[in-house]
Amino acid sequence: MSTADQVRAFRGMTRAGTRSVLIYRGDLITGAVALVIQVVLAIAVWRIVYSGRGPVDGVDARTAVAYAAIAACLQSVLLPWQFSTLPMRIRNGQIATDLTRPLGLIWQVFGQNLGVLLGRLPLGAIGLAVAAVLGALTLPPGWAAGLLSLVATVGGALVAMLCNLIVSMVTFWTFEVSGPLMVYRFGSAFLSGSLIPLWFMPGWLRGSVEWLPFQAQVYTPVSIYLGQTRGGQALALVGVQLVWVVLSTVLLELVWRRARYRVVVQGG
Amino acid sequence: MAVIEAADLVKEFSRPAVLEGRLPRLRGLFSTKRDITRAVNGVNFEVEPGELVGYLGPNGAGKSTTIKMLTGILTPTSGVCRVAGLEPSRDRARNARNIGVVFGQRTQLWYDLPLRDSFEVLSDLYNLDRTTYRKRVGLFTELLDLSAFLDTPVRSLSLGQRMRGDLVAAMLHEPSILFLDEPTVGLDVVAKARLTEFIAETNRSDGTTVVLTTHDMEDVERLCQRIIVIDSGTVLYDGDLSRLKERFMPYRFLVLTLAERSIRRVADIPSATEVEPSAVGTVLPYPDRSVVLRFDPREVTTPELIARASQVYQVDELSIVDPRLTDVISQLYDGLLT
Repeated sequence: MSTADQVRAFRGMTRAGTRSVLIYRGDLITGAVALVIQVVLAIAVWRIVYSGRGPVDGVDARTAVAYAAIAACLQSVLLPWQFSTLPMRIRNGQIATDLTRPLGLIWQVFGQNLGVLLGRLPLGAIGLAVAAVLGALTLPPGWAAGLLSLVATVGGALVAMLCNLIVSMVTFWTFEVSGPLMVYRFGSAFLSGSLIPLWFMPGWLRGSVEWLPFQAQVYTPVSIYLGQTRGGQALALVGVQLVWVVLSTVLLELVWRRARYRVVVQGG
Repeated sequence: MAVIEAADLVKEFSRPAVLEGRLPRLRGLFSTKRDITRAVNGVNFEVEPGELVGYLGPNGAGKSTTIKMLTGILTPTSGVCRVAGLEPSRDRARNARNIGVVFGQRTQLWYDLPLRDSFEVLSDLYNLDRTTYRKRVGLFTELLDLSAFLDTPVRSLSLGQRMRGDLVAAMLHEPSILFLDEPTVGLDVVAKARLTEFIAETNRSDGTTVVLTTHDMEDVERLCQRIIVIDSGTVLYDGDLSRLKERFMPYRFLVLTLAERSIRRVADIPSATEVEPSAVGTVLPYPDRSVVLRFDPREVTTPELIARASQVYQVDELSIVDPRLTDVISQLYDGLLT
């Protein structure tokens, strides 16, 4: 199959993913309402925390508030733990039909996930708009930082999707993945910095978080956007993202190579 | 040249062994012992292009496992299978372009999306150009009467509608080989007839090779010239449908409807045995006036038997009935296993 064919097949899967998000309007509206509430609350709480105080650990009130709002929006688009249906498809045997398609399973899942992400973009936009109206958004320190934070957002999304896929693959061995997924969910929500900015974590935790793939998902793009991480340091963080993308791609390929011989189809 | 080949095909599944003795479940957590089941145990067959083959066997015989190896879903433990010259599990994506697959138990359609959207995604997956895509969907919409529900989400379709959608999904890219795993399971008589008619037509007009697994012997009698019967993972029979009947149920039935005033008596007719009317499997119009004789055509010719019977009975009507495939198959399953 030529590359052009594969690209078209991938785009088809992406389209299916986006459509399956957009078709549930009620779900999207609920998601938007929840995100708006989350953004409003986060802004209010951080403003109270900072009321009458100067910068904490070198982070001023405007930055902390903006971080909370942007991180919440980014997270709701990325949903770093939820958008793969792979574990369910392995468990109920639906995987059989996926394996009869002319596109590799990984690319199918990846295309579908990307589509879901694109379908959820309007949600993030609504959240950001609300934050802007409340005066919680700040501009990046310069064009370069703005651009780099965009690159880092894409990098963060890639790392999130790859990690998610690797954890989902465990289902081929265990048929039950809610345990590992729960750990992963906690890990990604807390350690990616989407709940609390990583600046406020104790030194020992900070040190270990830097060795994990989570900070690349949310913290890296947001802190570059806010100018908390600049210049060489910012480039280094994007470099770390790249390393995670490469590492997790290799790991995913290894896991999948073994998994494809483990395929057992449930339910006849 | 054969388009599908299976040579000494074996598939084993292993799962954690169920332990016996004390605290079996607790010890099971730490045990590495595994039970191995052989679902397919050395299957051999070849299918020529354009054949329509019924692949039959009782539940758990290994039918679906074979199909899953031929479609590239499962990797054989040993042995080889080739489909259109490719090894499906090694060349899964390329194999996918040659084949169409329907699993009656599950759908390949996108559950949340309208049926039409699934077709569009498939046209991307198989890289169909716009004209071909429109032509194929138009054709199938007409043949299978899809227009009423093309824009309905798949989750709201009835089983019969969904099956028709699935069949189209499997055939959109004009595969030369179709694997149909219980495509009529759970369908009503009308939906089933429509589907089998469509399958037969596809096989006839496009020369599509079809491998069909089913428990429905009516489907088989309507569709298949050749059948392969497997059980416990091995082939029990491979050949003509009619020869199967000769071999495993060599007899036929002579059904007599006696004249109203004819006295019904126990008669001894040479070379024939009187059996319960239910043995023929069809509803007889006058059960209380019917006599059913089972005979072996190799021992007595039909006219001869009719002549003998009319000497004993005063007959109004008579007919010859062949044994049903269902009975042949259950005979086959029973007989060869015990």
